[in-house]
Formats: sequence, structure tokens, C-alpha cells
Amino acid sequence: MSDATADGVPAVPVHYVPIPTLPTPTPRDDYAPFSGTRTPLVIDNGATQLRFGFSTTPGGKDEANTSPHVNTNAIAKYKERKHGTSLLLFGDAIESESGARSQIRTPWEGDVLLNFDALENALDCAFLKLGICDTETVEHPVLMTERLCSPLHSRSLTSELMFELYGVPSLLYCVDSVMSFYQNNKPPSSGAFDTDGLVISFNTASTSVIPMVKGKGLLSHAKRIPWGAQQATDYLLKTTQLKYPNFPTRVTPAQSSWMMQNFCEFAPDYLEQIRRLRQPDALRAGARIIQFPFALPVVEEKTEEELARVAERRREQGKKLQEIAAKNRQEKLEAKERDRDFMLKLKEDRPDTKREWMSVLRGEGFDDEDSFEQTLKKLEADIKRGRKKDTDVEEPAEEPTFPLLDVPDADLDEDQLKEKKKQRLLKAGYDARLKARREKEKEREEKEAEERREEDERENNFGEWSRRLRAEQEAIMVRMKERSRRKAALADRKSAAAQARMKNIATLAADDRVNKKKRKAAGGEDMFGADDADWAIYRKINTAVESSDEEEDYSQLQTIENKLLAHDPTFTLAHTHAAITSQKSAMLSAFRPPYEEGDVEGNTRIHLNVERWRVCETWFSPGMAGVDSAGLGEVLQGVLARFSDAEKARMVQNVFVTGSPSKLPGLTDRIYSTLRPILPPEMHLGEIVRAADPSLDAWRGMAAFANTDEFSKYGVTKEEYEELGGERIKRWWGGNWNQSVSP
Amino acid sequence: MWPPKGAAKKKAAAAQEAVATATPPGEYEPTLSEQLSYLQYARPFKNPNYTKGVGRRTKILKTVLGQERERERQERERKRLEREEKEAGEGEAMDVDVKREEGEKAKAKAATPGVVVVEEEVPTYLSIEAPPSLLPQRHYCDITGLEAPYTDPRTNLRYHDKSVYELIKNLSPSAAKDYLAARGVNPIVK
Repeated sequence: MSDATADGVPAVPVHYVPIPTLPTPTPRDDYAPFSGTRTPLVIDNGATQLRFGFSTTPGGKDEANTSPHVNTNAIAKYKERKHGTSLLLFGDAIESESGARSQIRTPWEGDVLLNFDALENALDCAFLKLGICDTETVEHPVLMTERLCSPLHSRSLTSELMFELYGVPSLLYCVDSVMSFYQNNKPPSSGAFDTDGLVISFNTASTSVIPMVKGKGLLSHAKRIPWGAQQATDYLLKTTQLKYPNFPTRVTPAQSSWMMQNFCEFAPDYLEQIRRLRQPDALRAGARIIQFPFALPVVEEKTEEELARVAERRREQGKKLQEIAAKNRQEKLEAKERDRDFMLKLKEDRPDTKREWMSVLRGEGFDDEDSFEQTLKKLEADIKRGRKKDTDVEEPAEEPTFPLLDVPDADLDEDQLKEKKKQRLLKAGYDARLKARREKEKEREEKEAEERREEDERENNFGEWSRRLRAEQEAIMVRMKERSRRKAALADRKSAAAQARMKNIATLAADDRVNKKKRKAAGGEDMFGADDADWAIYRKINTAVESSDEEEDYSQLQTIENKLLAHDPTFTLAHTHAAITSQKSAMLSAFRPPYEEGDVEGNTRIHLNVERWRVCETWFSPGMAGVDSAGLGEVLQGVLARFSDAEKARMVQNVFVTGSPSKLPGLTDRIYSTLRPILPPEMHLGEIVRAADPSLDAWRGMAAFANTDEFSKYGVTKEEYEELGGERIKRWWGGNWNQSVSP
Repeated sequence: MWPPKGAAKKKAAAAQEAVATATPPGEYEPTLSEQLSYLQYARPFKNPNYTKGVGRRTKILKTVLGQERERERQERERKRLEREEKEAGEGEAMDVDVKREEGEKAKAKAATPGVVVVEEEVPTYLSIEAPPSLLPQRHYCDITGLEAPYTDPRTNLRYHDKSVYELIKNLSPSAAKDYLAARGVNPIVK
């Protein structure tokens, strides 16, 4: 739809959620001008707001009051913790005390007036605000609204309140939308009110269509849709919560209703609108960004020098550790050298006789000469290694010799045989190591040769090379996709892949697995496994084994992609496997723009694009939100169908829309385009009129009416109430009418 | 639970004056909420003898609507009986359009003053409720709100295109249920 927001302009306007301001206490009205007069008291008892006031201004009797007191219709009785004072807060005053918000009570529950305690308190506050203080009863005739076709329970209890508790002299009920219609179609001062029309009233929890014929509301033909501003706000809240499941702060219903009032609008043709929104650009253009309050995390930012200092410290510590380790090693080496020297000396000082030598050895802790020699050799090796590490000199490894291997077995005695076995093992090991080293070298040479070949190819025949690599990449990606598809198919119990797998398992486990003929030949045994290829079946059955193949493929893919990225200018990051798999559609990213993890400010933003129209569309098809009711279009059709063509023609000249939710833009156009097709083409459809002030016109109409003479005719007086009870009312053009009509 | 000194003084002060304003007696400044509170104002216009009747206890919506329905039914019964009585009394042949007859009779009655003629259907809270929709439902995508030609068989979510389907595949079952609940489809598995 038309918006003035950014389209190509880098900075998109961001709307900030309003912070609720504290209410200020206002003084009570001065009652003096009204005291003693029987000025009618006009109360518009709405589900969201309570509007009340005297029907005339304090100045003169003839001038109708046009500015009532408007206050949210809710009260809270709260006992404050700090001082222990009990408070009775009414309307917006509840904002001043955060604890009171949990104790809030409204007289209305959705559509129906139920909570009369709350109503009593609300009326108390209203009367106090008006300044009524020194009379024993409220001495003013009251004109009060009730909802269309109010349940009798509500009416009887309200009457009870008004008459018995407040002692009003007379009470008249009216329907708010009809009075708003009256206000906007007021007859000239002397004429009777007899306009025809169709009143569409948008209320908090319902939307009603009331036909007016000759100034009278035909309530029997009226229809009410159980969908109003309250339900629409809830729907907006629900959709935004679904869209942003990880939203950091809680969105309150008050904020949601602020969002709805300021950003939502009706689309003249919803289907057309959402078709237009399929394009990501249109989505972005039509979006409104709403910034919720957020708190930046306190990041202790170390300055450059601090960071440098820390790094320096760490390096020094490392160095110190290294020094300590080196010293340790040195010491150990020296100790070993000392030992070796000692042992060598021992050897030199070896006494002549063997026995003495043995005793000396045993004294040192060696069992016999061999172990002594072994220890000596080990020490020498260690020292050599240690020295090598320190000096980093690569001494050529000497070829160990295996002299005994050549001597045939017969010539050797036991010890020597053992020796020979040992030598054989050592030689085998040595040979194997040599072979491995040679193979590794060969591999390396091959790889280098391969790389060189590739480079040559790349340089000489670039196109061929890149094409080959790309084909490989495609093949790998296809394989990976196949594998993931297969995995998904296996997860589903009924898929073909899963059933094939079960068939394989069943065949493996079957009793008569072996073919009869083969059985006779092989002697009746199941020869599974004799052939190596049989084991391959386990790869097919086992669903978890894929990971090694996957990893291989993945690493191969990586290398190919890196090569391509490095050398091929036409292969960009966008072509890599990672980019392709994580590609979210442009539409989705315009629908819900993602923000970085650490972007606190971005993550507390809500982008409203499709919701702006979706929420308002629910008035025309409540089925979208799960309410099984006809939408406004259907209801209009149904209501009009019960009238003759002549009456219809008169009524559609004057289609009137009232109620606070009708302030949402685009409504009149939408209703026009809804009505036009269902009326015969030659019937003239007048322009849809919205009330001059959709919220206050009902009250103003009531005030204007209260100043006329008719008002006193229709009210139920106290005596009549006491005689007939609270449900009786007189039938008149602006009021409800049900069975309990007063004769 | 008596409020502390300051509030008591305030109450006394308020009771004396006709029009009370929350002037602090000097003890402490009343907080904003105390200034806004209406509790301390005298309400002489209320009838002290009024006792909350039995019907005052807040009924829930269900009971109220049930009562309405009951009443409606009784009315219909009553009218039906009346009609039958009239016929029996008149002794006339059965008229096809009984209503019309009654209407005529009623019109005759209307000549006498003070009688309201019940010729049309009496609207009640329930009778004027809109009927369920007859138009075929349009499918809108549960995730994005655009048109939804497709439905996911696993979760019954409607979706707009391939990329939205990828998103749906990765939704947890509870998230899918939330989306369905927003549409009004509540798959309750007992």
C-alpha cells in the first residue's frame, strides 16, 4: 500500500514503543452549576473506555456538552506495601502503581457486562470525578448505554445498581452505535429523526450491523460478529510471538494494541495485496520496524595496552616454563652421564675374578652381567638422544647388523638361538620401517607429480580444468544430497527405502535362507560370509554408518572448493556447497530479517509486514483466526437480503461506520468494495460515512438526545422500576428491545 | 487493618469537607497513586441501606448465556402454548400461516392503548449472533500470511512455497502446534 517509508533509502525509520507515562492527578469537577438541576447524566459504558459527563456544559442549559471524561474502564483495589494504605484506582490511574496492575478488574468480560463490583466502583469514581458529593442520591436522570441486545442479567443488575444504590430518578438505556448515527445524521431542530441507513458498529469484542429504518433501529434484523478490537489485538500478539519465538522481551497486550492502532490498515483487496507482497522488495517497502526497549550488555573493553600487557605476561610465563623444563632435562642428562661414567669406571676397575665381579655387580643392584651391559647401553642411548635434542644434530642412524641371521641353526647353542630369534624380529621390524618410509616417499612424490600435472593443466587448459573440478564438486554435492534424502526416507517408516531395508533384514534372518538346491550341494549350511562381498549388506542395513563416508566426501568437497576459489575467478563463495545449503529465500529474509547474534538492538526489533493487513482482514473473515463466524462482508449481505429492494436502496445511501476500531485506515474503501458487488449494479451506493469522531460521537449523540424532550418520555422511572423490576424497559428507536418490554 | 496515622488524618479531613482534596496534613507527601486513589472520598450519594442482592455475585459468562438461552426457550414454549390456546378457544380451522392470524389479532389488540405488539422476532443476545461462514475458506500460509496453495501432511500447516517448507521441516512439534492453534485448529490427542 502507499507508504512513505524507505524504498532505496538506507535508513529505514524505526518506531519506538511508547513508554507509558505516569498519570497526573486532576482535580474533581465543580458540582455547583449542576447541583439542584436535573441535568441528565450521560454515561457511555464501553468495554474499553468509560465516558461520562453531564449532558450540558456548566454554562448554559441549552449548550450540549461535547467533551466527556474519558477513562479506561477498569478499576483496581490495591493495598500498597510500603505504607499499607488501601487504594482504589480508576482507569489510567492504575498505571501509577505497578502492583495494582495485577489487581485490575473490568466490569466487562468481552462482550457482556458481568462484574458488578467493578461497575459499582467505576461508577463511584465517575460520580466522584464529576463532583457529586453532598446529595443523598444521584439526582440526575441517567442515559446509559448497553450493548446491542444485552443479556437480561446484565441489564437487571445495572438497573438494580442505579436505582437502589444510587437512587437515580430515571434511567434510559440506549445502543451506542445508534446514538452515534443520530449524532451524525441529526435532523434539523424541529424535525423528527427518521433517516434510513445501515450502521456498522465496531466495538471492543464484537462488530454489529444494525439496519435503521425510518429512524428506528430494527434490532431483529441486526447481526453481531464475535470479533472485535480485542480479538484482533490478541491475534496480532499471537502472530508476532510466532514470528519471533526467541524475542528477548515480553510484548504486553497494551503494546500490541498500540501497534495495531498505529500500523495496521485494511486492504481494499486482500488477495491482491498479498500477491503484491510476494516480492521481497514489496515486503521491505511495506514493513514497519518497531524497536522495543533493550539493554546493552556491559562489555568490559580492554584497551589496546591492556591487551598487549596481558599477551606479554603470558609470553614471559611461557618462556620461563621452557627454561625450567630445559634445566630439568639438563640435570637429568647430567645425572645419567654421571651414572654411565660410574658404571664405566666400574667396568675398568673390574676385578679379575668373575666371582668378585659378580659380587660387585650385585652390590650395585644388578643381577648379572647381561643386565649390567643392558643398562649401560640404555644409558648411552638416552644420553645420545638427549644430546641430539639439545644440539639438533641429525646423526646418521647406523645400520643395525644382524650377524647371527646368516649362521644356520645347527651351529648355534641355546643362547645364541634365542639371540638369533631376537635378531630376526628386529630385522623384520627394521625392514618394515624402511619399506614404510620408502612408500611414504613414493606417495609424496606421486602427490607432487599430480599437483604439478594439475597446475600444468590449469595453466594451459584452464577451461578444461575448471570444468572438471566443477563436475566433481557437483557429483559430490549430488551424492551428499542423495545420502541426506536417503536418511530422511529411512526415518519415515512407510517409505520405500525403509521397507526395502526391512526386507533385507527379514531375508537375512529367515529360517529358510539358503536355497534348497544349494543346501543339498553345500551340505545344508548357510554359507553367508564365505564370500567377502556378503558383508556389504550390513552397510545397507546399518543406518548409522554413513558418517565416515560423509566426512570423506565433505573433506574432498572442501579441497576442491578451495582450489576453485583460489584459481577460478568465476567461482565465487556463492557457488560453494555451504552457501547453497544455507541459502534462505530472499522472501523469507525480507519477511523476517535476521540479525546477528550479538546485535542486541536488532534482536529486539519487530518487523511488521504482512501482519499489518492480515490482522485487519480478520474482520472480514474471522475464520483466519479460528473463529467460525461469517465475516463482515457476508453479514452485510445477509442483513440486506432481508429487506426489499426499495428499502435496500434507501439504506445503502447512508452506510455509517462508527466505533473506535473504525479509525483504522482503509476501512471505508474496503466496505465500499465489499458492498458494491452484492448490490444490483443500478443501485446507487453512497459513500461510506465514518463518524466524525468515532470514539466520542456516541456520547455526543446521547448528550444531544438527552437535551430533547423525547428523553423524558422513554426513561424508566424509579417507581416503575420498583413495580416491574430491572428487566423492563420501554421500547424506543434507540434502545434495545426484547421480551421484557414495558406495556 | 487500620491505615497508619497519616491516612487516618486524611480521612478525617476529607470527611469534614464537602469536596475533599488530598492535602497532606504535614506528615508525609502522598504518593502519586494515593493522590489518584478515590478510596478516601466520601460517597454520600450511595444508599447505605443497599445490600447486595443474591444476584450480585459475579456470574461467569457461560452461566449468563445459559440463562439467556433458557429464557428464550421458555418464551418460545409460552408463545406456542398461547397460540394453541387461542386456536382451541376460537375453534377455527387450522390456519397455515398462524403467525399472520396472530398478527392480525395483535393488530386489533393494538387499538387498545398500552399494548405493545410482538409481531417480529424478538432479538436476543444469542439470536443476533452471526451464522457460521458459508463461503469456502481461503488458505493462507500459517508462517508468512501469504497465499498457501500447499499443505504439509505431517503437521497440517499451510505454506507458501519451498523455502517456507524448509522452515516448517525444522520446526519443533510444539511450535507447529502453536501455529495451528493460531489458526484455530487444536489437535488434541487424548
